[in-house]
Amino acid sequence: MRLPIQISEQSAEPLYHQIEVQLRALIVSGQLTEGTLLPSIRELAQTVKCSVITVKRVYNDLEAEGLLRTRQGTGTYVAQVCEKERDRYRLGAVMDALEQAVIAAKRVQCTEEELESMLKEAVKRHFD
Amino acid sequence: MMNESAIRLDGIVQNRLNFKLGPLHMDIPLGYITAIVGPNGCGKSSTFRMMLGLDKQDEGTIQLLGQQVAQGLDTELKKRIGYLQDQSSPHEDSMKGTEKAAFHRFWYDRWDVNRYRELLHNLEVDDNQVLGKMSKGMRRKFEFALSLAHNPELLLLDEPSSGLDPLAWKTMIEILHRYMDRGDRTILMTSHIIEEVKRLADFIIFMAHGRVLGVYEKDELFSSWFTLFVSGAGLNPKIAAAMPGQCGIEHAGGTTYRITTNKTSESEDWCTAQGYQIVSRQALELDEIMSALLMQDRLSTRAN
Repeated sequence: MRLPIQISEQSAEPLYHQIEVQLRALIVSGQLTEGTLLPSIRELAQTVKCSVITVKRVYNDLEAEGLLRTRQGTGTYVAQVCEKERDRYRLGAVMDALEQAVIAAKRVQCTEEELESMLKEAVKRHFD
Repeated sequence: MMNESAIRLDGIVQNRLNFKLGPLHMDIPLGYITAIVGPNGCGKSSTFRMMLGLDKQDEGTIQLLGQQVAQGLDTELKKRIGYLQDQSSPHEDSMKGTEKAAFHRFWYDRWDVNRYRELLHNLEVDDNQVLGKMSKGMRRKFEFALSLAHNPELLLLDEPSSGLDPLAWKTMIEILHRYMDRGDRTILMTSHIIEEVKRLADFIIFMAHGRVLGVYEKDELFSSWFTLFVSGAGLNPKIAAAMPGQCGIEHAGGTTYRITTNKTSESEDWCTAQGYQIVSRQALELDEIMSALLMQDRLSTRAN
């Protein structure tokens, strides 16, 4: 299986972190369902062009968070993610995006009112 | 992180009339791919030959797969190793591929004929030809298949891809990844191809002038070397020189300087603390890191 993970070598974010964030998103968003067998460490390292040491670290971290579990000799699987966690994650991503929008608005000296009306407009465009 | 080692060099020295190799200390971890990179004539191939007992070192000890290599390698140990030389031997030119394969089959009891056939098939090699008549790339592919056909625990590859076309190169990379998948095998290789090192290596060893300049975990290496474009009122080369990890400063117009660093995160913290702005950032390529390391080495040897 090929995981849709993409990394940027130019980014300030460390590689393992980039991979970890994306893999966590795939699991918590439900795109990877419980029991899915993940690619072997060497395989994933090859697809994202990083070393196995980095992938090992990611798998270990996510296992510690309870999102993955490793069965000796058979591989690494997606563990069960509880509803609460999933919700928190789902809304968290939206919150982050909004936060970014506010920062962008402040950068070009938007007023609070302008920003609110822009948000309303955007909501209208997509929900009606 | 570093657990068992597959190969261990301790104080290896080889004195030649016009070249001194060493003293070398190396620890090649078991279960990983380690790539040695360095300019031509830096001692990579000589190191390989000594590891295999083909050349004798003047000082120091070598340990291979847990065994001390004293007077050449014993046959049992050799059977656990696969080796691809950097150049094919001219004395085999009149030999047919099948004949050389028969020779290997005789020596290696773990020779796996199905594996051999599969490798030839994947690499599109016809072993029914005389080796001297094969094209350079074809012969390379043949030798590569041979080095793997007895399922060795340790694989030494000396510039494996020289002469390969891009498609064959890709096949080779895939074969090596699959070879490593079991997790208990080790590859030590040399390469001049940046992309190859990036795709394969877990650890990178830089060598120059017969010495080891440094050993790095690949991702850590690439994430610590960056060129930063830093800008800020009053910034001048003298101040910029104080940046941690600084390895080179160039003026980039106005109050912007192009600063290369090998401690990116510390450098960034420094910029924040000093109130300078990082306008843009660029990761260094392997060759750029190598030349920066060579430069540092030159400066430090001159200082001593």
